[in-house]
Amino acid sequence: MSINYIPRRFTVVRDKELCINCGCCVRQCSNECHYYADDGKTALVNSNACVACHRCVDMCPTGALRIEKYVCDYRENANWTPQYQQEICRQAATGGVLLSGMGTPKPYPVYWDKILLNASQVTNPSIDPLREPMEIRTILGRKPEKITVEKKGKSTVEMPPQVILETPIMFSAMSFGSISLNAQKSLAMAAKNLGTLFNTGEGGLHPDLKDYTDCAIVQVASGRFGVHKEYLQNSRFIEIKIGQGAKPGIGGHLPGEKVNVEVSNARMIPEGSDAISPAPHHDIYSIEDLRQLIWSLKQATHNEKPVSVKIAAVHNVAAIVSGCARAGADIIAIDGFRGGTGAAPTRIRDNVGIPIELALAAADQRLRDEGIRSSISLVAAGSFRCSADIVKAIALGADACYCASAPLIAMGCHMCQTCNTGKCNWGIATQRPELVKRLNPDIMHERVENLINAWNHEIKEIMGGMGINSVDSLRGNRLMLRGIGLTEKELEILGIKHAGE
Amino acid sequence: MMNYVIVGASAAGLACAEQIRKEDKDGRIILLTKEEYLPYSRPSISYYLKGKVTEKDMLLRKPSYYKQTGIEIVTGAEVTAIDRKKKTVRAGRKSYHYDKLCLCTGSKPFVPPMKNTQSKENALTFLDLACTKALKKKANKDTRAVVIGAGLIGMKAAEGLSKICKSVDVAELSERVLPSILDAKSSKSVKKFIETEGHITFHLGDTVTEAKSKGGKITSVVLKSGKELPCDLLVLAVGVRPETSLAEKAGLEVNRGIIIDPGTMRTSDSDIYAAGDCAVSVDMLDGSKKIIALWVNAVRQGKAAGSQMAGGEGATGGTFAVNAIDFYGMRICTCGLINAAGDKYSDRVIQSGESYKRLIFEGNRLVGFVLINSSENAGIYTNLIENKTDVTTLSGDILGTPSLMWFDKETRKSRLKGESA
Amino acid sequence: MKRVYAKEELCLNCRLCEVYCKTAHSQSKDIIKANKYEDPEPVSRVTVCGDKMLSAAVNCRHCDNPKCVEACITGAMQKDKKTGIVRVDEEKCIGCMTCLAVCPFGCIKTGKFAVKCDLCCTEDEPACVKNCPNRALVYADFGGKG
Repeated sequence: MSINYIPRRFTVVRDKELCINCGCCVRQCSNECHYYADDGKTALVNSNACVACHRCVDMCPTGALRIEKYVCDYRENANWTPQYQQEICRQAATGGVLLSGMGTPKPYPVYWDKILLNASQVTNPSIDPLREPMEIRTILGRKPEKITVEKKGKSTVEMPPQVILETPIMFSAMSFGSISLNAQKSLAMAAKNLGTLFNTGEGGLHPDLKDYTDCAIVQVASGRFGVHKEYLQNSRFIEIKIGQGAKPGIGGHLPGEKVNVEVSNARMIPEGSDAISPAPHHDIYSIEDLRQLIWSLKQATHNEKPVSVKIAAVHNVAAIVSGCARAGADIIAIDGFRGGTGAAPTRIRDNVGIPIELALAAADQRLRDEGIRSSISLVAAGSFRCSADIVKAIALGADACYCASAPLIAMGCHMCQTCNTGKCNWGIATQRPELVKRLNPDIMHERVENLINAWNHEIKEIMGGMGINSVDSLRGNRLMLRGIGLTEKELEILGIKHAGE
Repeated sequence: MMNYVIVGASAAGLACAEQIRKEDKDGRIILLTKEEYLPYSRPSISYYLKGKVTEKDMLLRKPSYYKQTGIEIVTGAEVTAIDRKKKTVRAGRKSYHYDKLCLCTGSKPFVPPMKNTQSKENALTFLDLACTKALKKKANKDTRAVVIGAGLIGMKAAEGLSKICKSVDVAELSERVLPSILDAKSSKSVKKFIETEGHITFHLGDTVTEAKSKGGKITSVVLKSGKELPCDLLVLAVGVRPETSLAEKAGLEVNRGIIIDPGTMRTSDSDIYAAGDCAVSVDMLDGSKKIIALWVNAVRQGKAAGSQMAGGEGATGGTFAVNAIDFYGMRICTCGLINAAGDKYSDRVIQSGESYKRLIFEGNRLVGFVLINSSENAGIYTNLIENKTDVTTLSGDILGTPSLMWFDKETRKSRLKGESA
Repeated sequence: MKRVYAKEELCLNCRLCEVYCKTAHSQSKDIIKANKYEDPEPVSRVTVCGDKMLSAAVNCRHCDNPKCVEACITGAMQKDKKTGIVRVDEEKCIGCMTCLAVCPFGCIKTGKFAVKCDLCCTEDEPACVKNCPNRALVYADFGGKG
């Protein structure tokens, strides 16, 4: 055996006094950290493969297991940190691109944490959402430039297709393939019950989800997997995926071993073949090309469905958003660089793109300046951790927010960041049947609904405190925001004042 | 209102009475037993002998049960005659009128001819509670007991006595122990186990030919081989025969047992039924007509007879032997055609340590098994036999622990719902 | 009557039902004592059969016409007329295990007595159902007379 140059990350500690050797951990760990001694009864631990997913910890009926960080000191070096050294060793061993799952763990500034919210005092009353109506219904879609009415007051404007959501929170794109069907079904069920939408990602729509087409956003991505007429028509709206926050400029790669019969059917590709999404759409090399695709998709659906364009937050995001709006998009989703992923090259994930807060503020401002803000709806994505993040995003100009990581956590995800291995112990980012069945949609849709309902309550609570009774009055209302510990430039981009001002 | 009379109140008689009550709420049910006890568990007598259960625990139902369910039970009522014309049965001085009669007379001990054993106070049979009580009274730590017969009854008597007596010798004419429920190979290891655990001495291929007595008491027995064993207590447990004398006297058709139509449970008299160890059954595995003296068979036949008597359509279903028994903690479970011989049968055996498993097949069908200390989920095997399942349709090793997962998805689903067989 | 039904497509093979059944049928009702120290060791009445790919928790079906009751030579195994629960009277049972030899589901285990599911003798959900982490066990009345 060659030398293992990388110390393990975690230690699984088994409390022998508490352990009853029931073997639950042995049967639950897909990384095979737990195993039986030769007697077939005594449970033992090998921590080397532990990713700290906590499946064993959470399942252990006696609380006998604990995961500890494996502390193995390197000589202190602020530059050559242990992580860089380990990554070098890993690449030295494999010669490959480093891959990771979920959003970047690097300590880039999270602007949500540097923005504070306002509340009413004396001069204007706050509202108690438990006693008074509080509207968080959100409507997405292109709004007409002006309204004309006939004599009796009836509107004569032909409204472009609109999407009504009962909450400003939608579930972001996660394809069947990157996540399990059970996970996607849980989201679909939750979306239906919550009056919001889930997003198929680029994996096509599995026939099992045919009852949920009313709350499905169907994606058309560079690989065009699973795209056909019915797919487009069986949706609430269509989304053209240009980029993803976690890996801007990069395509996708679903390894062939994950393409089982079900995935192959949904994606319309041969079983076992790699599903490669090219980095660009090979028919989009300009805004004009995008316009053509948007137009085609609208034609394919009889102009009944809005078309969204999803882009990653990159440096000149504002200009790109403006271009997309002019290309005929009804909805534009901007995905910040902290957004999650099933698999991305680590270097890309941790270094490319910009935070959603800045991208959103810049895009909203640019569209306003150009007088075309109402021609599109803006959807923000890229890591919303709580309801306050959502409120801040709406105040910065978002019409709605895409959440993915939070509902995954509600379904059991522990951010172990090894989605790319396909061994997800929680049955989320895996296609292995023995793991997929761990995620029971009947349980998980309830948990996701509970989460979003809780956030809805909190959003109403915060809005009430501000004296605002409708989410429409909060949208782009940057006066409700103040920065803390931010530079002049940051405040300028965010379009907010500093706390105390 | 119908008058139902049942003769015999063990497994078949009681099941028959209960089934009649289930289907006929008003009929009069009279259950006659010659014994002095309310229905009790006869197979438990060996456990009573070794003191594992009390008399009270042996009762099959609480004493108040019969009144609650309206079953008139008469103890100490030995039926001596049936008047088929008048439709009455006579027990002692009383006679009972019946519209439907069921004979559940069970078995009687078979005592082979040997010299000087008749009416000796220390020569006993071992079949019911009364003789077990007598046996228990006579046995003590100085007793040297001799048991004739190494079948189920003899072996159970020997086991019970071995915990009380100074020594126990067992004489058996056959070359092996438990010949009716064990195959040759397993009976060897069972014998060895019982010898060590129970300190029982076996005399196989041998039997008692003569007893020597003094003052009405046997003092020793002489074996066919010429050996002479000192004997303070002689247990005659060679076997049992169906108790058919009542039926014969009444002119019903009888050969080895009372002949019945397996569909209707009727004897040659259409108002007289028979069930249990006294009646002839058809073994579903080889089609042979024989006495299957088995608790579960008696219960099923009793139920079927009860249903038929009350005008229902209850049937026994397929019948075959199933036996579960334990000796000194060794668990034996056997079923079906254990000693099947011939080209059409094959078998598979797995053995390790104290456990032994032998499965007997006819083509792709399981027709019998012998399980020693490996009876986990044995009922699944029994069910395979009963359903005549083609074992090649099962996934998994048939010699492993029987599992629901052997079956296909549809079967599993219906099993998990509780739909069986 | 209400029975415990197992859904094999949701069974995780974690076997926590067995752990909690064992605890519920122990003297101490304490998970650690029951599973580590108690003597005699309590026996779980539910058994997960199968492997990680396919498994299901099998326990007594409380059949309408229970074969185990028919086969019981002592009257210890009875189906309660009111609740429908098939139970072993431990005073009466002599441990001959004929019931085991006839149960087509493999739901009876060997102990000092025949050991089997008694639905925890409660109106509530039995311990196995209550503690199944994936709702692979449901306690419901899908018909069948009591």
